[in-house]
Amino acid sequence: MSQHEDPKPTPNTAGDGWRVLSYLIGGILVYGGIGFGLDRWLGTQFLLPVGIVLGAGLTILLLNFRYRQRP
Amino acid sequence: MSAGVSTEFISPGPQSFNTTPIIDGVDWFTKPVLVAALSVVVIVWFYWGASRKAAVVPSKLQFAGELGYNFVRNSIARDAIGSHDYMKYVPYLCGLFYFILLNNVAGTIPLIQFPTFSHIGWAYVAAIMSWAIYNGVGIKKKGLWGYFKHQTMPAGVPVWLMPLMIPIEFISNILVRPVSLSLRLFANMFAGHILLLVFVTGGDYMLRESGSIALGGVGIITLLMGLAIAGLELFVQCIQAYIFVVLTAQYIGSAIADEH
Repeated sequence: MSQHEDPKPTPNTAGDGWRVLSYLIGGILVYGGIGFGLDRWLGTQFLLPVGIVLGAGLTILLLNFRYRQRP
Repeated sequence: MSAGVSTEFISPGPQSFNTTPIIDGVDWFTKPVLVAALSVVVIVWFYWGASRKAAVVPSKLQFAGELGYNFVRNSIARDAIGSHDYMKYVPYLCGLFYFILLNNVAGTIPLIQFPTFSHIGWAYVAAIMSWAIYNGVGIKKKGLWGYFKHQTMPAGVPVWLMPLMIPIEFISNILVRPVSLSLRLFANMFAGHILLLVFVTGGDYMLRESGSIALGGVGIITLLMGLAIAGLELFVQCIQAYIFVVLTAQYIGSAIADEH
């Protein structure tokens, strides 16, 4: 093959952005879903928003732990 | 729009994407099927022609083929999967990229003008395929339990937080990924095409059937805007093909990565 190889490939940051987004959606889905379920079960109304905020917060914490590890 | 029959503007909607069978009686053979089949023919023809007479000093077609192949190989597969074992996945990623690209761009090519992936079923199948592959290679490399642990235990999180983090990691890695892959592709193709339809049919209506000079002027502007939207669409079509394949490659890379 007559191509020159790129000596040092650059990391793909576009993909990282989408992964962060999918983490956020995941966190909100899990804890928002738990809140929604508890709301239905207990007949309350405040647990869904609490769950969503908690999920988003935990995801940000998770992302912080995860991406801080990178060299 | 049928000129002169109705003066009411019928706005385009999801019903505009209902395709009728091309041949009567063969229900499954619709426009997206035809476009997808044509794209496969074009890709095979192109790469067959490009590699048929491979020479050290490449012909123009061979050069174009190498350019197209190297783009996926080097700037998508190798960057995302790592230079150790990316070669195995290049054929899939390359085929996937050019298949999605051609089917997206078909939304802009005159006379075809239908993006296959604006029908969500196509996007689902593409995403399920990628999902099956990256989970499959992950399980093959680490075993079922090992892969499961790898995909649900986030690195660097203190032990006491683990129970709270594992569901997030699981849902986002196993569930959200394939859904977001398919929805992103489908929604971009659908929204772009419907936007184009609104501009073109609306502009056409105002120009020819509204019977008002002022509205006719607005119609011309609307049609020009439609042209600009078509340009934007071409850009989005390429970007979406790229994003889909980059993410597939990254998911494969993370599934076989040794540590998180």
